[in-house]
Amino acid sequence: MKRNHRLLDLLRKGRSPLENHLIDGFVDGRVSRREFLRHGSVLGLSVPLLSATTGALGFQLATSSPARAASGGTLRVGQIVPAGSIEPAKIADGGGITVLSQVAENLVLSAPDLTAQPLLALSWAPNDDGSVWTFKLRPGVKFHDGRVMNAGDVVATFDRLTDPEVGSNALSAFTGVLSKGGTRKVDDLTVEFHLDAPNGSFPFTVSTDNYNAVILPADYAGDFEAKMNGTGPFKMVSYAAKQGASFERNPDYWGGAPLLDRVEFSFYDDYQPQILALLGNEIDVVQYIPVLQAAAVMSNPEIAVINTPSSAHEQVHMRNDMAPFTDKRVRQAIALCLDRNQLVQGLMRGMAEVGNDSPFMPAYPSTDKTVAQRDIDIATARQLMEAAGMPDGFEVELTTEKYQEIPEYAQVIQNAVREIGGRITLNIMDQGAYYGDAVPGKSAWLDSTLGITDYGHRGVPNVFLQAPLLSTGTWNGAHFNNKEYDGLVSGYVAALDLEAQRSAAGKIQRLLLDETPIIFGYFYNFLTATRTGVSGVVPTAMSHLFLQQASL
Amino acid sequence: MRRPRAIRSGGHLARKDGAIAGYLIKRLLLSIATLWLLSVLIFAGARLLPGNVGRAMLGPFADERAVQVLNHELGTDRPLLTQYASWISGLVTGDLGQSYAYQAPVAPFLQTALLNSGKLALLAFLMVVPLGILGGVLAALYRDRWPDRILSVVGLSATVVPEFVSGIILILIFGVWLRWFPISATPPRDAGFFLQLYHLILPSIPLVLVLFGYIARMARAGMIEALDADYTRTAVLKGLSFPRVIWRHVLRNALLPTISVISTQTVYLIGGLVVIEILFHYQGIGSLIYVAATKKDFPMLQDGIMAIGILFTITTLFADLLYAVLNPRIRFQRQE
Repeated sequence: MKRNHRLLDLLRKGRSPLENHLIDGFVDGRVSRREFLRHGSVLGLSVPLLSATTGALGFQLATSSPARAASGGTLRVGQIVPAGSIEPAKIADGGGITVLSQVAENLVLSAPDLTAQPLLALSWAPNDDGSVWTFKLRPGVKFHDGRVMNAGDVVATFDRLTDPEVGSNALSAFTGVLSKGGTRKVDDLTVEFHLDAPNGSFPFTVSTDNYNAVILPADYAGDFEAKMNGTGPFKMVSYAAKQGASFERNPDYWGGAPLLDRVEFSFYDDYQPQILALLGNEIDVVQYIPVLQAAAVMSNPEIAVINTPSSAHEQVHMRNDMAPFTDKRVRQAIALCLDRNQLVQGLMRGMAEVGNDSPFMPAYPSTDKTVAQRDIDIATARQLMEAAGMPDGFEVELTTEKYQEIPEYAQVIQNAVREIGGRITLNIMDQGAYYGDAVPGKSAWLDSTLGITDYGHRGVPNVFLQAPLLSTGTWNGAHFNNKEYDGLVSGYVAALDLEAQRSAAGKIQRLLLDETPIIFGYFYNFLTATRTGVSGVVPTAMSHLFLQQASL
Repeated sequence: MRRPRAIRSGGHLARKDGAIAGYLIKRLLLSIATLWLLSVLIFAGARLLPGNVGRAMLGPFADERAVQVLNHELGTDRPLLTQYASWISGLVTGDLGQSYAYQAPVAPFLQTALLNSGKLALLAFLMVVPLGILGGVLAALYRDRWPDRILSVVGLSATVVPEFVSGIILILIFGVWLRWFPISATPPRDAGFFLQLYHLILPSIPLVLVLFGYIARMARAGMIEALDADYTRTAVLKGLSFPRVIWRHVLRNALLPTISVISTQTVYLIGGLVVIEILFHYQGIGSLIYVAATKKDFPMLQDGIMAIGILFTITTLFADLLYAVLNPRIRFQRQE
């Protein structure tokens, strides 16, 4: 590797110790180029700097701006009907996020390659311990009503979302991270976030991952649907709840006017009708297709499938405080019965990554890849069952929800554990009934001995590490209670530099493999389908659909 | 001599009208009681479902505080009796309330959905009723010969194929492959009559397939009974022409059971088409109720079911009246 040390020294000037530490790690080979780009983006190293550094080392960062395609036309998009009114603070479903992403934007983009990219924020940087983050805002961004966005709008937006009285859906993401009053204006284009505790991944908390956190005018007073006044690339023309929406290009968009004249959204109640409409050339894009439904279009030459990597997964939790799972050897034995490659290739048609029984999927930069991958091993599983005093196996009910491929996954598990004498009966419920009131005692999800729960994509594993696994976690279906784990996770969350994160991650991964409170069998991709000829459609695994570069 | 006769005949008419009016009032009172009972059942039933409204709307991962704020905003944390009273008093005064999910009045949603369902049902009805009756009549006239056999096999096979199977096959052939018909039953905004009709043809065919066999069998059975009846033999022996016998004597009697079947199917055609509506991307009352139930949008769910209940009451009442008009035994049994 050819190194240009003079250029590197120049680039290091004015960088914080943290940033320089990351650059050192990259130069010394402890941090790979991809990891450097990913983590550097979180710390707020700007894209030009990242590219200059990798360039100084003999790499070139590919330019991300696509060739400008022909302008004009109307794009017809099919999507699942939003579950409720389009009120940014209350949206909790993919359908609502897709609509919202046309008109309103977050400070940061949680990009498909797991980097944090600038949207309404131009750059960001932490203080020494990561308890205060300073964000520089993009100048000259206009709301659809013509007013210019400034720090006051950002402060008001975050104060609104962190106010328990408002009851925003983002409250769970902000708990323990940011409280009302923690967001402060420095000048018109600078905002400081004073956090409840040091946090090395904070940019993701204000990114598209936290979809409710779109920047609205400071004087926003409700009834978003009437005007949809945001900063997004498209302006609302009309919105009919349960039916559809149309948008027109925003000529004043900060990223340049979109190529399309208009976008027409049709709302569907199910996936299959959208696929049929796509085949029949009644729509050009289907915003999301589950893997199991995608088989119908994968081989069709008229259809292109956009395959976005994601950390979405199904958690198989085992109640650590209930028989037969009080003994960790039983939990390990069940995990050893699963053929993960078969799950990825068979159940998920190859559109997934193998999981290693922790939220650290391989693509996260902080994942410690030296931790051995757990594989199918029936012999060891049988020995573990014998050692646990259960040579004849066990009987248990597997409770889960009717959602995407989960019922099929449940059957795979049911068959797999027969090898160690496991007799599983399935109880597959409607999704609403499974989640119930989502509090212990009134929720099949949190009360079942053995269950499978769906988790959507997150750009960083923090949420997956906390709510379902901490002893205080509110989504802890496994009832996992391990003080050592709790300590490791708070260390991981606070860690600012990549090597410290990875060191904490390695310990967490090994601890979770040993304890196996939850089986993470695979992480599946997010699929979007378009008719061939449509280009520039950029989905996120969170259900945003960015169409400013789209053309027909 | 004339006068008393006239009076007698006038009295006879009055007695007949009075009987029908009394019958009607009794039926109406009964209907109101039924609807009230339905309102209690649907209100209680919706609340027996596990989970609460705020949780269903914000999802399992929302903060409990946010759920409580939302429940308070929606008023779902009030006592059940208060909620029922406010709903039913609104309903009686014509205020259908606000949808929880969409934060907007229920009435326009319900109106659109009912109108859409009505259009689809009407088209399917206009196609299947003449076809079914004609099929049944032909089958009866050619009893046990090949037209009868073919009609009963075709009708039966069409009935047992679920709508979503025939629907998908129709879409794949006529929508995707040949592209003769649009897949979406929802026409563009401001579409005229013929364009709307064009969009509704494909989705109405599965309904015709499901109902054709049923109606044809009822019509065939009624026809056969009527053809074998003594009055038909009398009419034939009296020397009436064949079409006249069929039209005046056989059909009138044969179609009585068919009418009650059709009237119960009307409600299915309007409220029971969840699968067809979802498959053909159509905003009807069936999918409106279904989605409201899954999302715990109680005002939308309750009002939707009440609308179906009222519709059911009206159609059965209408069918009973029609039956009474066509069948003197029902009309006069009270006086005997």
